[in-house]
Amino acid sequence: MNIKKSNFMKGILFSLVLVFIVGTLSACGGGSKDVIKVGSKEFTEQLLLGQITILALEDAGFEVEDKTSVAGSDKVRMALENGDFDLYWEYTGTAWLSQLQHDEPLTDSQEAYEKVRDEDAGNGFSWLQYAPLDNTYTLMMRREDSENLGIKSISDLAKYINENPGEITTAIDHEFSIRPDGYPGIQELYGFSQSEDAIKIMDLGIMYKTLQDGQVEVAMGFATDGRIAAYDLVNLEDDKNFFPVYNASPVVRNDSLEKNPEIKEILEKIAPLLDTDTMTQLNYEVDINEREPEEVAREWLQKEGFID
Amino acid sequence: MISTKISKSKFKIFIFPLLLLLIAFVYSFYVVNWPQDKIVANYVSYNKILLSLMQHIRLVIVSASFAIAVSVPLGILLTRPKFKVYSNVVVNIVNIGQTIPSLAILALFVGLLGVGFKSGVFALWVYSLLPILNNTIAGILGVEESIMESAKGMGMTKRRILTKIELPLSYPVIMAGIRTAVTINIGTATLAAFIGAGGLGDLIIAGNNINRWQIVILGALLSALLAILTDYLMGLIEARLKNKQ
Repeated sequence: MNIKKSNFMKGILFSLVLVFIVGTLSACGGGSKDVIKVGSKEFTEQLLLGQITILALEDAGFEVEDKTSVAGSDKVRMALENGDFDLYWEYTGTAWLSQLQHDEPLTDSQEAYEKVRDEDAGNGFSWLQYAPLDNTYTLMMRREDSENLGIKSISDLAKYINENPGEITTAIDHEFSIRPDGYPGIQELYGFSQSEDAIKIMDLGIMYKTLQDGQVEVAMGFATDGRIAAYDLVNLEDDKNFFPVYNASPVVRNDSLEKNPEIKEILEKIAPLLDTDTMTQLNYEVDINEREPEEVAREWLQKEGFID
Repeated sequence: MISTKISKSKFKIFIFPLLLLLIAFVYSFYVVNWPQDKIVANYVSYNKILLSLMQHIRLVIVSASFAIAVSVPLGILLTRPKFKVYSNVVVNIVNIGQTIPSLAILALFVGLLGVGFKSGVFALWVYSLLPILNNTIAGILGVEESIMESAKGMGMTKRRILTKIELPLSYPVIMAGIRTAVTINIGTATLAAFIGAGGLGDLIIAGNNINRWQIVILGALLSALLAILTDYLMGLIEARLKNKQ
């Protein structure tokens, strides 16, 4: 017992000394910039946003640690809370509905951004200027159909369906068929209805292909999916703001931002250029052309003149 | 006396199916009238239940009919002396169809036949072929040699031997194969919902995705009851065929 106890005390003493030494050393290095830990979730778009951030910060002279590809909205949030990340890109809709636990969806980008930003300020996080890219649900059509029938928005679609009943078939997945903020809600808000036969309910995995093959005229999808560009599909504009917004925005720990205020400057120049079409195209390069996220991110930053 | 006896036993036959229908109705009535929340209330209605059930039954009936129409004649053909040599090869090919996971068959043929009813029927058809084919072959080959010999001795033509001896004697075995195929089919048909063919799978998947147990159980219960009911009814037909002989 005694031996163990003294070992334990030694251990504590040793760690204290170590902490002291490390603390002193790092304080000495105050002249150079901090190491910034950049995180992301695990899917393509997040990896791209992570790489764009890393490359831009490195170009500005920061030392960056790559902490990207963590699965789960709660895990990344936790990583930000306990300092494993200094920053990562989060979606306003995800933060509002899932992390901050609100149940009424927000459908206006600016409003959603401001509400999330204000609430999270109290949690020690700063939401920088959001990107226009909105990775929400979408209704898609083939480009040629959209052009030939003159359907650009969901209102156009509703009008067309009401004037030509039975001509349009729509593919949706099971969840979308039952969620009150899914297809039943769209039909109600936009004022149209389709018969049971005209709504094909299927697995999300085959939806894009089904639309491309012309088996249906309209399908649901996710707005920045690379297949939208690959299959030459278009997103119909949600002109009555039915879908909740999922704009991406860099979220930074307040303490990191205070020490390194340039982060805000750098990322707020980049964010406005990341719109839905741009992101879809970048996702396409990774998902369909099977290129590395880092390579695609570097190419885009160079093209936009952010790095050499 | 005799007539009352028959009507009594006839009545008895229907007690079990009526009980199954009663369970199905009582549970449907419960979900429609006491939904757990608004989402369930909006989604489930008698119309919706009936539509899913009819889609399901249509998938099973059409695919099973095609399977019978192919497997029974094929089984007969493969037991003729001329074609007997091929029987192993054909059974093995059909067997391969059975080993591919049903979801994979559905996914594979979506590209070819499109989403919806056709692909669903095709996948279920592939799945029903083997039990029926196997039982047809086994049933015919199982007819006793001595009976065949005496039929030949009586000077019956091959055609008459088939229709008067082989088929009647192997009926119960063939029927058992059909019964197995159809019962399995009813369960597998829930997967057709993944490719837009509808059916009770719609209820199960949608309910599961949004985590509403009432809907999941509704879909699962109805397909289970449908399978039990079908199995029972086909068992009755099988028994009657046996009695006739």
